[in-house]
Amino acid sequence: MAMVRQGLGDHSGEAPASPLSGRPRRRGVKVASGLPWILPALVLCVGLIYYCIGYTGLISTWNWDGISPNPQHVGFGNYTQLFHDPLFWGAVRHTVVFFAVTFTVQTFLGLTFAVLLHSRIRLAVVYKVIIFIPVVLAPAIMAPVFRAMLAPGGQFNEVLQHVELGSLAQPWIGQTSTALPALMAITIWQFTGFTFVLYYAAMSQIDQSVLEAARLDGAGNLKVITRFVWPSVAGTTFALATLSVIGALKTFDIPWLVTQAGPDYATNFFGTYIYQEIIQLDNVGYGAALSIVLLMIAVIFGVVLQLWRSRRALS
Amino acid sequence: MIRRRKSKACALAALCLCVPLAAGAQAGAAQTHPATTRTPAGISGTINWWGWTPTDSAEANAEIASFNKVYPNIKVNFKLITIANYVTAMRPALVSGEGPDLFELQPGAYVTEFNSFATNMAPVAAQALGSNWQSKIAPSGVSGFTYNGKLIALSVGSVYAGTLWINDDLFKKYNLSPPTTLAQWVSVCKTFKADGVGCFVQGNETEGFLQDTLQSITNSVQPGLWTAASRGQADWNSPGIVKALTIWKGLFSDGIMEPGSLGVQQYPDGNNEFLTGKYAMIMMGTWYTANVTKSGLTSALQAAGASSPKPFPILPVAFPNVAGHPSAMYGDADYGLAVYNKSKNTAAAETFAKWLATSSPGQQYVANQLEDLPSLKSVTPNYAAAGIVDPSLQLSAVKNLAASVGSVTEPRELLLSSAMQMGNGGILSAAQGVATGSETPQAAANALQKAAVASGVKFK
Amino acid sequence: MMFEVSKRWKRILLQVVVTIMVLPYLFPIIVMLQGSLAGEGFENYKAVAEVPGFARFFINSAIISVSVIALVYVCAMLASFGFAKLRLFGREVYFWMLLACLTLPEVVLLAPLFTTDQKLNLYNTYWAVILPLAALQIPFAVLLTRNFISGLPTELFEAVRVDGAGPVRTFRHLIVPLTRPIAAAVIIFTLIAAWNDYLMPLVFEQATNMQTITLVPQFFIGEFNDDQTKILASAVVTAIPEIVAYLGLQRLFERGLTAGAVK
Repeated sequence: MAMVRQGLGDHSGEAPASPLSGRPRRRGVKVASGLPWILPALVLCVGLIYYCIGYTGLISTWNWDGISPNPQHVGFGNYTQLFHDPLFWGAVRHTVVFFAVTFTVQTFLGLTFAVLLHSRIRLAVVYKVIIFIPVVLAPAIMAPVFRAMLAPGGQFNEVLQHVELGSLAQPWIGQTSTALPALMAITIWQFTGFTFVLYYAAMSQIDQSVLEAARLDGAGNLKVITRFVWPSVAGTTFALATLSVIGALKTFDIPWLVTQAGPDYATNFFGTYIYQEIIQLDNVGYGAALSIVLLMIAVIFGVVLQLWRSRRALS
Repeated sequence: MIRRRKSKACALAALCLCVPLAAGAQAGAAQTHPATTRTPAGISGTINWWGWTPTDSAEANAEIASFNKVYPNIKVNFKLITIANYVTAMRPALVSGEGPDLFELQPGAYVTEFNSFATNMAPVAAQALGSNWQSKIAPSGVSGFTYNGKLIALSVGSVYAGTLWINDDLFKKYNLSPPTTLAQWVSVCKTFKADGVGCFVQGNETEGFLQDTLQSITNSVQPGLWTAASRGQADWNSPGIVKALTIWKGLFSDGIMEPGSLGVQQYPDGNNEFLTGKYAMIMMGTWYTANVTKSGLTSALQAAGASSPKPFPILPVAFPNVAGHPSAMYGDADYGLAVYNKSKNTAAAETFAKWLATSSPGQQYVANQLEDLPSLKSVTPNYAAAGIVDPSLQLSAVKNLAASVGSVTEPRELLLSSAMQMGNGGILSAAQGVATGSETPQAAANALQKAAVASGVKFK
Repeated sequence: MMFEVSKRWKRILLQVVVTIMVLPYLFPIIVMLQGSLAGEGFENYKAVAEVPGFARFFINSAIISVSVIALVYVCAMLASFGFAKLRLFGREVYFWMLLACLTLPEVVLLAPLFTTDQKLNLYNTYWAVILPLAALQIPFAVLLTRNFISGLPTELFEAVRVDGAGPVRTFRHLIVPLTRPIAAAVIIFTLIAAWNDYLMPLVFEQATNMQTITLVPQFFIGEFNDDQTKILASAVVTAIPEIVAYLGLQRLFERGLTAGAVK
């Protein structure tokens, strides 16, 4: 077991004395400071984006249309309005469902593809390219394709009829009950390639000899995957979870371009709501307040995920 | 000031009418803005023109080229920004002080938002057309762009809605005539659908076209009510609107509106379905006239994916009388040119705006595209050169349509704010809520009234 | 080898399973390709290539993407090494300060970035797009790379430190070669983000000759018409460099631990 890379040797918080911290070594060399190393990234990102965050925070206390030189100062008025806004809570609900489903399915599919394509498969390159192409296709361009495909007379319903499931044929994006699942399916289609690439890269780091040893010990394929492969890519899974949370909160392209947050707000998300308020309705202050709330939710969830992960690392 | 002027006989009506107007316009221009150097050869400079139309860069360049025949020293750079991205791109640019010299506007939400960046174009119109300029251009062009007494843009052309367009071949094939009442509409649709042909296609995912349908229904229920409500002179939850919403719901349950239409966008989805013959009817307005020409319809068909396009005749028909009164048409300016008040070359920008919006050659060019009805009253499209698919069938219908807009008094976009259209409880929300059954027509109408009050409309 | 399949029928089964799994992904792609060839067929591609300034747009996209990738790679690698292996007081605070940059939707950034660009005189330059794109991609790259570096065997770092290598040498000789797989992933995803971005070039580039390839579909979207066939053709054309890059970088995903790096 000693040679298995757990991928968890991170220095998050309270890790026990690890080789690169503290204990004096033979030559008395202390670990170098990481500050100059992270500085370029911090300066660029914080410098550029934090002005935007500050600006957004400021205008979130205004009632403003983005143009007039005399905005109305309303303090936390936008925030109180937000908490009473059924559309806000609708967006929260949709985001939660969206995250839960897409993260689970994408992770499962990405992992499965990575495992399968790491095995002896003919023409693996072809499969890798096919899964990857959806990642590069701009949602703006695929949206009408999907609208046509999921229309009552579209190809998806045609296929259903071919496989004797014609009774399931319905207007997938034209009704509130199936619009959100349809969007989740499109999102999964688009981002499985993303999780696949990351899992594939992570798996290529796994020491083959460990897997061999396990097999010699009699472990079957499934055991190898659940006991060795899955834990060693845990770091990637947590990274993907963080990115999925942020992605679900920010999601805009697919819900806006395919269903315009509808029908009847059935697919309204933070991203679409913010866009609508800022660009279409000129409620720039309210949109800014929504963005700040989004930011806070994202950071809270991310920190929670991080704490959970470092707790697991210790156990 | 002597300028050599070339007189060309019109081969293609599109570009080459004579320009006696240019001399007058130019002489007039010399008196106003002292900021730009004026030489006898004319105003010079480079200006940036941003807009969502024309898309076809060949068309934009052709417009600019024919403008340059008259004003060779003014260079015009056109930047295309689609409507979907228009506010996103324009707002920061205009606020920053670095915006384009010339930008396009549409009546309604854009005017409300961007009017503070536009100069007053009334003097420019007066220079171009004389002091009685108001009588020379379509009234919708003036009302659409007048904000707080200022004319903030020169209208280039207008569009009117409240009509349906039908696939005449399909109607003839099934021996049907265009419906004039709701009952006929239902029965026509039954006949089409019985044979697997789509009846009526509409994109109800976005606000634009379902607003038209609601307005047309309301015009049939109680003429003038929609406009009155938009002005605050009637309530949005008055019985007439509730009845209109009920009829709207009926369109879904009676088999006229497709159940999936809430997931369809008019452009490109609905438009392509109609043009490729999958549906017999679509609700479009005067701009659809561009599809009566062989070339227009052929390129539209190719855009819709037909590999061997066969143009077929389409005809405009009045919106059926669904509730007892003939449904009047409505419309306003399609787009206008506004001059940026921080522009460094307002004279050149105004010159181009004048050319496109008030000069005969510019307006003739616009008219011949058949998408917009020209702002300048004296200009009519050159139908003969347009190449209509079936002139014996379509020409008189199209001409009557163009003539009928003269009596239109009600606006389309002008009176509605974006909050009223797309905000919480607004028209999109009401129509979709009623269609999905999640709201009763009365509840939706109440929400409309609430939204109108919240958006600042003063009701009496 | 993740799945050990000795018997022939198992191998065939595996192939069939993968094929069936991949079909739903293939289906919309085929529909899209069909759409791009509908109407005028290959003329659509010709029309796309003939959009005025097309070559210029392509070059602009390339310049912007390459610059963003370079910036992101350098900043992210340096930063993730710092986060993963070096002494840092308040490590998680800094990390989350960085990640918070990922959370704002792009539309919210446009107005303040516009003001920033003007103050720094960057409006209508490449930097107006390169800097924000890099700033948005770096946290994501750091997240992935930090995680990867943490997973590298500590024995290697031990060995190098025993030899007296400071952080710079460790970085050059250990980190850079060993992180090739994740660096390839970061490069690919940064390329996609930079290449596909359309809001920032639209808003921050005034002149048409500064526009990127993402502008091309707009040429086919009119007020009263929408040429889907050519839009799809432009999507294919836009996607091809990204797929080529993926194929090129793909073999880097497959490299395992190379013991040679330690020397």
